[in-house]
Amino acid sequence: MRNTITKIAAILFVAIAFTSCNDKTKPQVQYMPDMYTSVAYEPYGVNTAFANGMDSQLPVEGTIARGQVPYDYPNSNDGYEAAKKELKSPLTVYTKDSEKGKALYGIYCAVCHGKKGDGQGDLVKREKFLGIPNYKDRDLTEGSIYHVIMYGRNLMGSHASQLTGEERWQVVEHVQKLRNDLLK
Amino acid sequence: MSSHYEAPIREPLVLGEKSYHDITVDIAKPIEGKANKNWYIAFTISLIAFLWGIGCITYTIGTGIGVWGLNKNIGWAWDITNFVWWVGIGHAGTLISAVLLLFRQRWRMAINRSAEAMTIFAVFQAGLFPLIHMGRPWNGYWVLPIPNQFGSLWVNFNSPLLWDVFAISTYLSVSLVFWWTGLLPDFAMLRDRAVKPFQKKIYALLSFGWSGRAKDWQRFEEVSLVLAGLATPLVLSVHTIVSMDFATSINPGWHSTIFPPYFVAGAIFSGFAMVQTLLGIMRKVTNLENYITRLHVEYMNMVIMLTGGIVAVAYASEFFIAWYTGSPYENFTYMSVGAATGAYGWAFWSLILFNILIPQLLWVRKFRRSFIASFLISIAINIGMWFERFDIIAIVLSKGHLPSTWTRFEPTFVDIGIFIGTIGFFGVLFLLYARTFPVIAQAEVKSILKVSGENYKKLRDGNHE
Repeated sequence: MRNTITKIAAILFVAIAFTSCNDKTKPQVQYMPDMYTSVAYEPYGVNTAFANGMDSQLPVEGTIARGQVPYDYPNSNDGYEAAKKELKSPLTVYTKDSEKGKALYGIYCAVCHGKKGDGQGDLVKREKFLGIPNYKDRDLTEGSIYHVIMYGRNLMGSHASQLTGEERWQVVEHVQKLRNDLLK
Repeated sequence: MSSHYEAPIREPLVLGEKSYHDITVDIAKPIEGKANKNWYIAFTISLIAFLWGIGCITYTIGTGIGVWGLNKNIGWAWDITNFVWWVGIGHAGTLISAVLLLFRQRWRMAINRSAEAMTIFAVFQAGLFPLIHMGRPWNGYWVLPIPNQFGSLWVNFNSPLLWDVFAISTYLSVSLVFWWTGLLPDFAMLRDRAVKPFQKKIYALLSFGWSGRAKDWQRFEEVSLVLAGLATPLVLSVHTIVSMDFATSINPGWHSTIFPPYFVAGAIFSGFAMVQTLLGIMRKVTNLENYITRLHVEYMNMVIMLTGGIVAVAYASEFFIAWYTGSPYENFTYMSVGAATGAYGWAFWSLILFNILIPQLLWVRKFRRSFIASFLISIAINIGMWFERFDIIAIVLSKGHLPSTWTRFEPTFVDIGIFIGTIGFFGVLFLLYARTFPVIAQAEVKSILKVSGENYKKLRDGNHE
């Protein structure tokens, strides 16, 4: 009997000894992490060499990367009016993609504006915040929609960092379609 | 005596008027006595060399392989040279205990224990090099096909370096078991003679409760024979596999079908030379001159001559084939005119001198039966066989296919230090062995005493007259 108790105690001790080192709130112990941490800078890494402590640094103001087109309308009411009047979609038959526009709208816009663009997104329905307009109540052109995606307006923030230029125009296409459906 | 016939032409293997008890006493004496001053001096020197080697190994692993003299064209030099050299040395032990057992050579009985110890200690040294020459030795366990969390990523079984892993580890374990089974009756003898309780306890543990009953002896003999039968192909295959590290490559000078048998012959050649060196000292310091006799030395020299002859023929073939192929790349292999006249000419000529020319002295009976001469020649062979491996590795790598890759290898103090360290480690192990283990298989020698003992032979020859 005593022998059995000793054995059970020994097994328990070993079991505890092996599991006690496993702290789930901390990263696991590494065996010889030779190439585990990067020598090169990784995009979102911490970097003490820079003043803001980040690997990602802002580009110099006014520089244009290859393949990028700068947006020239200023972030103001005048800019909004100008874009509304003048700005036209550069999409061609080859770059138009209503499926993709719908999908992107579903990801980035529908949570507030609603799937139909009637201002009845999930967050509005749950009364997280109010004041999302219905597309049919506003006078919108493709230029003004694009401008708002670029800079945001009032409560809405800029979505320029989430979407590329082409994607923004594809979303604009979809918003226009929704507005036309609502106006019917 | 009339029932036994032994050719009178055979010389006695056990000298002096020895009885069974004399054998026991003679063999137990170095273990039961105290070590003398010379032993301590030798041990201290070996230990210092060993510690220095450990330091060099630690420095290598801690700092990187770059502390060696290797460069990006000569990626193997002293490390693999020493590896092959030590493995080669180890081969004589198994040859003596296994092959000579299969051939019923009675003279092996006095030397097999020490030869096997030499095998095991030499394989220890050899086994160090594959590990420490790795860039990341801590990942060395990846050479084993163990199920793992990398999607059960396994090893590639096509590499001779992996075969080396299996060959060396199998060789070491089989040799160890073979050696230890042979030790059981001898440990039992020491256990039964021990007067100090601590010694008794130790030898009781080591002898696994050997009681020497008829059934035990019968099985003991069967196991020895089976192990000898297994160890013999092992000896041939282990150094064959080591030779395939080179022979399966595409380097001119390495890619050669002659390597497997030629390396094995070289291994036996160098191994016997090392046995000769060690026993030359041991028979003196442990007063075992009556057991390791002139006849043993002569027989070993004969094996050295035979294998040395095979090696010499192999050199000649390599030299001939280098010319006969007509391939210009073969002009710079380790056995070629290019090597003889190139930057490593000194290594080429050392090889010729130490391995081919000096051992030819053994054709002279006077040298063959002389302790001093065979001791000196055996040391020359050890040097020569080191040069053989060095030449094969470094000369071949120094001049490859592209002249823009031709380069030289110069060892650093770390290369040399590790080699000295392994010699020291070997010395430490062998010296400790000589003080604690029965250096001659007393049970086996007792089995030939009445056949080959001097007094018994005299008695028998007298009867015949």
